Amino acid sequence: MTATSTADHQEMLDGLTYPTKRDEAWRYAPHDVLGQLSFGPPVESSRQLPPALDANIPALKGPRIVLVNGVVDLERSELSALPAGLRLLTFDDARREQPELLAAHFGSDVDLSTGTFSALNVAFGRNGAVVHVARGHAIDVPVQIVDIVLPDEVGNASSSGAVIYLEEGASATVAETRIGDGDFGGSNTRTTITVGDQAALDHIVLQDVASTQAHLGRIDATQGAGSVLRCHLFNLGGRYGRVDYDVCLAGEGALVELTGLYFGTGNQVLDQQVTVVHAAPNCTSRQAFRGILDEKSTGVFNGGIDVRPGADGTDAEQSNDNLLLSDRAEANTQPRLEILADQVACKHGATVGQLDGEALYYLRTRGISEADARRLLIEGFADQAIDSLDNEILRSWITERVRRHDG
Amino acid sequence: MLHVENLTASIGGTSILNGLDLDVGAGEVHAIMGPNGSGKSTFAHALAGRDGYEITGTATLDDVDLLDMEPEARAAAGVFVGFQYPVEIPGVNNMYFLRTALNSVRRARGETEIGARDFLAVAQDAMDLVEMKEGFLYRAVNAGFSGGEKKRNEILQMAVMEPRLAVLDETDSGLDIDALRIVASGVNALRGPERSMIVITHYQRLLDYIKPDFVHVLVDGRIVESGDHTLALHLEDHGYADFVNHDLDDAPERPLSGAAR
Repeated sequence: MTATSTADHQEMLDGLTYPTKRDEAWRYAPHDVLGQLSFGPPVESSRQLPPALDANIPALKGPRIVLVNGVVDLERSELSALPAGLRLLTFDDARREQPELLAAHFGSDVDLSTGTFSALNVAFGRNGAVVHVARGHAIDVPVQIVDIVLPDEVGNASSSGAVIYLEEGASATVAETRIGDGDFGGSNTRTTITVGDQAALDHIVLQDVASTQAHLGRIDATQGAGSVLRCHLFNLGGRYGRVDYDVCLAGEGALVELTGLYFGTGNQVLDQQVTVVHAAPNCTSRQAFRGILDEKSTGVFNGGIDVRPGADGTDAEQSNDNLLLSDRAEANTQPRLEILADQVACKHGATVGQLDGEALYYLRTRGISEADARRLLIEGFADQAIDSLDNEILRSWITERVRRHDG
Repeated sequence: MLHVENLTASIGGTSILNGLDLDVGAGEVHAIMGPNGSGKSTFAHALAGRDGYEITGTATLDDVDLLDMEPEARAAAGVFVGFQYPVEIPGVNNMYFLRTALNSVRRARGETEIGARDFLAVAQDAMDLVEMKEGFLYRAVNAGFSGGEKKRNEILQMAVMEPRLAVLDETDSGLDIDALRIVASGVNALRGPERSMIVITHYQRLLDYIKPDFVHVLVDGRIVESGDHTLALHLEDHGYADFVNHDLDDAPERPLSGAAR
């Protein structure tokens, strides 16, 4: 299967070149790290999953699909006892049972101009998870997709996919965790989301691959009328951690909220590339990304609001707030606004600051040590992004993770 | 208990405190009054340990030298300063902050830390004292609080920390009469034989509610007059003019009824 697929896409791959620093969307990427990635068809890892990595999977009970190096790990997955209205399938199952579910992900609509890594993912990300919620069903339990990269001698960069499809009036929460272990390599994931009319999806990404690895994540979402999409990104791991969102508000009155937190140390580069397209009238979009950057880390927020002709009554806001903890850390923020409609309310703002000296002093006068006061302020800054999450298990996973980062 | 002798403070070459002497005994409440720019807040922050001042002189609490200590060590030694402008700390929950503060000083003193459940009872008592609803504990520290809520939160912190010495810097500023009554009754409830207080205020009004044992007048970074509470009444009638024999560069005194600044 994989070999054939690869052959199918060989032609497509032939002309591919890696992006360079001259590409605006790749300006701050560590190109040497990207250059070391080697992609190929999924191969089962020869390595055992390290216990620490297993322990880093959020302890959500319920349905989940786990992929290791782009291969479904059925032992770690939970595909039985699904609530009514939910289908959770591997790509292989979907190809057999309901291939139309994969159309938006692999079909001719896939826009390969978005880049080399999307094309590589189409070619090699043959395995993945399909989450399908039938019309009008509310799924209370969060569905988890875990992508693990465990490089060995054979290959170092894995590819996988996710398709999330909510029919009209359905609602669900899907958490995608991307983790890894090893001294090199990385993961390349692509998620295709369709939120039907009046449907509501909470979509969470926890990016925490090893500090020497790269993660490239891409999420394409299309929303129907009156739908709600809440995206929560926690971009924490990797030498290079990058997540691209491309959200199209295609139906009238749709709402998207994108909340993000990135927390860099060492020489990490954490990169978020966001585009929200207002293609229908009276839609609302909110982008709120917060970055904490320590040591020599770099944060990138490149956020676009694209209001198409006819998308009158658009209400769009974007904010990017950065906290620099070191004078060697760097925050890059770039708003991109293109407004081609009438009666549009569009706001954007960015801040870059340091820990508030007066707040530190205030806390210290209350007996709190300087180190603890710093920690409190950093966590307070992060909490404003974490607060957007309802799920207690995920919140504590992130809180713990952030605490480790700043400890 | 508190002994301050010949205390000077300057910032970037500008001297603000010019040889301040003050002794506060256990259980005593001292009021410090003075015109704008006389050094009242600087005195409070010199005791609390704010960075950026050049300080000389002596300040000891129970014979322990405060001036070489970090702010957190002073808190552990029993100093509490209520801020004129309490700082907003978005994202940090009030309850978590209070418990961290209390446990930090307990740890520094070699005492056992207090668990979440026991702390809730401590916090509840403090809340009752300043007539706050429980929801208050779960909001971010001072973030979006009204002026009155911020000052009540300061008194709440004082009640939780149980300091040896409380220095309240213009706790009355920006308060309406109801908030003033709540804050003052909170302060009065916390008076005790082992706790000393310094109440810094611009106006006599607060002293109708918190009756001080001593009143001091601070002008140009020095205490120029001390007396009992009748001194405050004198100031209300005559202003600071008797103690200031040169023009101050700040605005003239406003009528007491317009105390909100």
